[in-house]
Amino acid sequence: MEPAPLDASALVTNRNDSQRRWGLRHLSSRQREALWFYGIISPWLVGLLLLLAGPMVYSIYLSFTDWNLFNPPEWVGLDNYIRLLTRDRTFGYALTNTFVYTFLYVPLNIVFSLGIAYLLNKRLPGMRIFRTIIYLPYIVPVVATTMVFRWVFAPDNGLLNGFLSLFGIDGPAWLLDPGWIKPALVIMSLWGLGSSVVFLLAGMQGIPSELYDAAAIDGATERHRFFRVTLPMLSPVIFFNMIMSIIGSLQTFTQVYILNADPNTPNNAIVMIIPYLFDNAFRFNKMGYASAIAWVLFVIIFVFTLLVIRSSSVWVFYENEMKQ
Amino acid sequence: MNRRIGFAEALSTYAILAAISVALIAPFLLMVSISLTNDTSTVQMKFHLIPQEFEFNNYVRVFTTPNIDIGRHILNSLTIVIGSIIGQVIVSSFVAYGFARFNAPGKNVLFLILLGTMMIPGAVTIIPQFALYRSLGWLGTFTPLILPNFFGGAFNIFLIRQFIVRLPTELDEAARTDGVGPLGIFWYIIFPLIRPIAMAVAIFTFQFNWSWFLEPLLYLQDADKMPLAVAVRTLSATTSAGATPMWNLVMVASMLLTLPMLLVFFFGQKYIFEANISGGGPAIK
Repeated sequence: MEPAPLDASALVTNRNDSQRRWGLRHLSSRQREALWFYGIISPWLVGLLLLLAGPMVYSIYLSFTDWNLFNPPEWVGLDNYIRLLTRDRTFGYALTNTFVYTFLYVPLNIVFSLGIAYLLNKRLPGMRIFRTIIYLPYIVPVVATTMVFRWVFAPDNGLLNGFLSLFGIDGPAWLLDPGWIKPALVIMSLWGLGSSVVFLLAGMQGIPSELYDAAAIDGATERHRFFRVTLPMLSPVIFFNMIMSIIGSLQTFTQVYILNADPNTPNNAIVMIIPYLFDNAFRFNKMGYASAIAWVLFVIIFVFTLLVIRSSSVWVFYENEMKQ
Repeated sequence: MNRRIGFAEALSTYAILAAISVALIAPFLLMVSISLTNDTSTVQMKFHLIPQEFEFNNYVRVFTTPNIDIGRHILNSLTIVIGSIIGQVIVSSFVAYGFARFNAPGKNVLFLILLGTMMIPGAVTIIPQFALYRSLGWLGTFTPLILPNFFGGAFNIFLIRQFIVRLPTELDEAARTDGVGPLGIFWYIIFPLIRPIAMAVAIFTFQFNWSWFLEPLLYLQDADKMPLAVAVRTLSATTSAGATPMWNLVMVASMLLTLPMLLVFFFGQKYIFEANISGGGPAIK
């Protein structure tokens, strides 16, 4: 867009009058435009400084202190980080659980979403209804999802084990079994895969049909069309989806927090990074220690995002690569 | 895909999608069924996928039982949601207008920062924010939940900015020639034109705040002030070991938490899918 000269008058007023009032007459139109830009975005800038940048800096400082919220923070150097990474067994569980959950959920979510989007992309009547049904679970609040899935996963009279028993399978105790609670959480999250499906479907529908026509002329089979046309053309959407779902999964909180309140839950098998941070900060008043957890999580998210971005040059295909 | 689909392929596609749909609907049905179960069966934990009892009175009891009083929690949720929507829609649109229509040194860097902030985990700010709100005396009030929306949200600003960039500038130019200032152009020209995306932002803000859990739990402290999402959890928590929560009432509350989300989705799905496509699709370059 060409930068057009703007005048500084607010609303409909006499131009000269308002410029005198604002004292802006000596400014060039470009300077005035810059002033307007900063004026208009100032609410966001103020929020950025007050609610993000400022707190982030303070949080780094806190992570090097011992602070119980009531006495002034006491500098302890790297103590929090050393304790966290070498001596805190619960944090070890939290890390392992978070990683296992993320590495199960993210790939499964993409594979299933791709499969469903592929089916929905077929030109058949009624696909909109299926799309809506598949999207709906995504909008159910996590609190409600967790409540109902306690009964989906109930060992004896639960929905899932009832279904499995139809095939003669004796299902596990899911949420009560340390070995099955993470797969159970993954299944619960997969219930909400509709959002990824809709993203991928939109991406698929944006693929130019000439590509498929060209592939057909070359005698491509259905499998070829999917792996040689659909998948490469879709890879930027998959890439975006993957980053967002990794970042989201690493910050899982609500499900774990709710399930942990149940005395029957195997806590060590389900504790994750954010719930552990929450406990430290707001149950034990260890604000410094909890801040250190936050920054370890920050680094983990940063590293994972970087890894995915780095790897993307190998597997993500951008259309403009072709044109260059 | 311009390809003819054979009968067998159509049949198998429908069969798979139907199976998936049934699996995805079953938990909804279970929620409805448990919410209609009477107290006797609830205590014995006799729940069925297909409702066997129709205790509609459960839906009245959650409003009339004093220590549950779902009505108050719904009001709390609505207060938070409406305040947040007003802030997000107006301020995010305004800031997006700045990013879309004005040039200034440092703008590109600021836009990158805006995108970058979406990646920052809330965990690194929650403790200082808590301390800040505590020192301002805002704990136990809705202020820390509503006020931050009046600084705009990064994702919403990005979404609306993408929309404004695609609007033709002729109307702006014409208004400018007529002596309308930047604020007038926003209010009389841009804001009416961005209605579809502003609707999407309002819907997203509703969805997020209606189901918001962590921060309300933290900042409100007083059980009476909690929004519905937190109240559902409280209702399900047993105070003593061995005691069972009234699962039928917990599911009634879960239903009341879920239904508005479904309603808003059905009335707003046009806007949601459009925003998904324009904001998250391959259009990001």
